[in-house]
Amino acid sequence: MELNDLKSSWQNAGGHFKGKTELADMTRITHHPSLKKIRRKLIAETIFLLFFLFIYYDWFDGDQKPLYANLVLVIGLLLYIANDIIGYISVAKPIHGSNLKLSISSYFSGIKRLAVFSLTFSLLYSICLIVFFTSVIHFTREKRLLLVALAILLFQLIFWSFRVWNRRIKSLVEQVKDFDKDENR
Amino acid sequence: MIKRNDSTEKEFLNIIHENQRIIYKVCKTYRDTREDQEDLFQEIVYQLWKSYPSFKGESKISSWMYRIALNTAIATYRKRTLPVDYPDKIPEPMHSDTGQVSQNEERLFQALRTLDDTEKALVSLFLEGFTYQEIASITGITENNTGVRLNRIKNKLKEILK
Repeated sequence: MELNDLKSSWQNAGGHFKGKTELADMTRITHHPSLKKIRRKLIAETIFLLFFLFIYYDWFDGDQKPLYANLVLVIGLLLYIANDIIGYISVAKPIHGSNLKLSISSYFSGIKRLAVFSLTFSLLYSICLIVFFTSVIHFTREKRLLLVALAILLFQLIFWSFRVWNRRIKSLVEQVKDFDKDENR
Repeated sequence: MIKRNDSTEKEFLNIIHENQRIIYKVCKTYRDTREDQEDLFQEIVYQLWKSYPSFKGESKISSWMYRIALNTAIATYRKRTLPVDYPDKIPEPMHSDTGQVSQNEERLFQALRTLDDTEKALVSLFLEGFTYQEIASITGITENNTGVRLNRIKNKLKEILK
């Protein structure tokens, strides 16, 4: 294929396949391939956590636990909800700059910030839960071991999450570098 | 948040309907499977709608659409990360129900999918007929470097399509 053939194949590719009604549907978040799932998860988690905030005091003996334990639990749950909302907003808007290079670079900075927030909030949320549920426990050797096992499990989950973020960040680093390739020649 | 009325939506839909080839070509270039191409198509239309209020008509519609479409294709996370290289198989066309896709077209998209993301963006704009200056303005890569890189990409494509 010669260059002119390439150009003509490119310029003739596609057509008016999608109707206006179908295109109109695509502008709604309810039809978005990934955002609708993230939003559904965000709403479900928020409802569940708010419900938990209402019932924990009676169901999990909040009144028998010290004030600091109640406070850290509430803070932990609110941090989790905040993290979900910040993540949703960041993912929903990948376009920031006036050109591709600026936009990808700014998106990369946003994702890096989001990764730090997300991992920190997850860690704090886990610590808050552990503090609340262990605040009035009289520790025996078995209970201590159980707590250590639980802490290891939580750290493992956070580590997996770190690896997922790291993969995403690495691919964006490569992309940002690629835009800069040969620019100083 | 900017409130958009029915006439804005109508105007937007007319633009997208008339220029949907651009979205189609970006999807075919950046994604391997029909399912991923359809998902990216929806994602691009959604992002175009979100950014429509900031489109002031100072640039060409095609420049604006390419900028948003390429940005979305590069930035959004791909579900499948394993490279696909089936030179003998032609993937199912994105709109198989509405017409035949020429063999030249499929060969072209297969070749384009072997390039990296920045190369895909540069060559898409070049094939669309944008000048080096316009390509530089959309991508943010200097005009000089755009020329150098496009020459390399053209040679690469010639080798692949030999």
